Amino acid sequence: MLDDETAFLGRDKCAVVGIGQTAFARDSGRSVLSLATEAALKALEDAGLTVDDVDGIVRADVDTVTPYSLAAALGVNNLSYWGDTGPGGVAPCMMMGLAIGAILSGQAKTVIAFRSLNGRSEARLGGSGQRVGAETVGGFGTYDEYYLPYGLLSAGQTFALMAQRHMLEYGTTAEQLGAVALACREHANLTPHAQMQSKPLTMDEYLSARMISTPLRLYDFCLESDGACAVVITSAERARDLRKPPVLISGVAGGAPPDRRAGMMFPVVTRQDMTDLGGRRAGETLWKRAGLGPSEIDIAQLYDCFTISVILQLEAYGFCAKGEGGPFAASGAIRRDGSLPINTGGGHLSEGYVHGMNHIVQAVRQLRGEADMQIAGAETCLVTGGPLPVGSSVVFRKAS
Amino acid sequence: MTIHPLFPNVTDRETHEFFEAAAEGRLVFRACNACDHALHPPTAHCPYCGAWDTAWRDAEGTGKLHAWTTVTHQIHPAFPAPYTLVVVELDDAPEVRLIGHMDGAPPLVADMPMEVWFQALPNGPTLPQWRPAA
Repeated sequence: MLDDETAFLGRDKCAVVGIGQTAFARDSGRSVLSLATEAALKALEDAGLTVDDVDGIVRADVDTVTPYSLAAALGVNNLSYWGDTGPGGVAPCMMMGLAIGAILSGQAKTVIAFRSLNGRSEARLGGSGQRVGAETVGGFGTYDEYYLPYGLLSAGQTFALMAQRHMLEYGTTAEQLGAVALACREHANLTPHAQMQSKPLTMDEYLSARMISTPLRLYDFCLESDGACAVVITSAERARDLRKPPVLISGVAGGAPPDRRAGMMFPVVTRQDMTDLGGRRAGETLWKRAGLGPSEIDIAQLYDCFTISVILQLEAYGFCAKGEGGPFAASGAIRRDGSLPINTGGGHLSEGYVHGMNHIVQAVRQLRGEADMQIAGAETCLVTGGPLPVGSSVVFRKAS
Repeated sequence: MTIHPLFPNVTDRETHEFFEAAAEGRLVFRACNACDHALHPPTAHCPYCGAWDTAWRDAEGTGKLHAWTTVTHQIHPAFPAPYTLVVVELDDAPEVRLIGHMDGAPPLVADMPMEVWFQALPNGPTLPQWRPAA
């Protein structure tokens, strides 16, 4: 953890200057490289830049598109920096850190960060119901041999166990989880490109939907989407001369929980406090680096792989006390007219699941003032990454 | 279509002893000989005191139920729904929690006592499993 706030050299030194995305769909009918290429070209066009300006590309570890493939498909001639980060949905926020590091150290001037997946039509996370099991699973340092052979197979089942603990320890209710699903759905209903734009959701429908893994129901789960998002990052100084108002990266931080366990997602069940996220530690560092705190955040894009992950992050990042995430969500605070509107395009639950990257695109839209469901006066936005096994986070700020 | 269960990899250099012990009807966990801290998932190095002197210990095979979820949406042919995943905290070492698989949706209560049993997978390795204590 960083104790000296002056040690972070990156505050407001770099900016997101371009954003791009494809349509979000159940079946794109295209390759993930084609999707990534479209998103990156749109982000460059949005910034008023061309492929000749690009010299860096960063991606998520689980993306099957490599930086060099994307450079080849785009026609980038000057690729001199690339990097991977992760794991999985943790990546997008950490990509902002890679980009800052590359730009401030002189390794790159203009960096594309992207995520592209056919998450519904080709590579479904958490199982498709179609496959036949491989004979042998786990080993080689994964520790999955302790979990998969029992039928603990997915993130949804893991978060179901965390949700149950939160209910047992703090009295969190299904209606409080539902408040997260409904807020995201209402925001998607006001966002034309959102996959659930035309489908309202009531609390009765939420509660009567089929159970997937108790206590989580259908609408506690995010969408599975095909799509890609890309953003362009450069120095704040260069950003001033570009087409759109720059959105500054005020701070970025990852964090691991104090009860650390080897392995990936499943060992969270052996943490003594299963609902203490790495995001809590990320937040402690983030606020120092960004020079502000949760009370100064206008809007947030919180990683919503499941409704419970939003409630846990409201607590982890200090918007409410531990255990009070459920009542906070149910109070209406997270809706568009609340004190902390979240997932203002519908989020993973209702806009589309681009593994955290659509949250960064949405943050930039809001701080430029060009979102479909614009939150008036939004000047600061927290974005968080996937909550297991470690947390990641960014504060974006409108340039003054 | 033949449906194969998911067999654990029993040759991992950190964890193979867990499955070898299970095949003998013993439940074991890794612990540090220097500071006595249990280590799970098991690692050869103790992060609490820095010792490399870690070893497997026999557990009593009793625990308490920490959490559970009943899976009602099937995502793998080897695991027909509904089934219930239980997370059991070892009485000998509360730092260690293990998973068990129970058919259906059995009546369960938080902190209820649980006991281990050993399931030999057909033509495969043996898994420690958990059920409410008799």
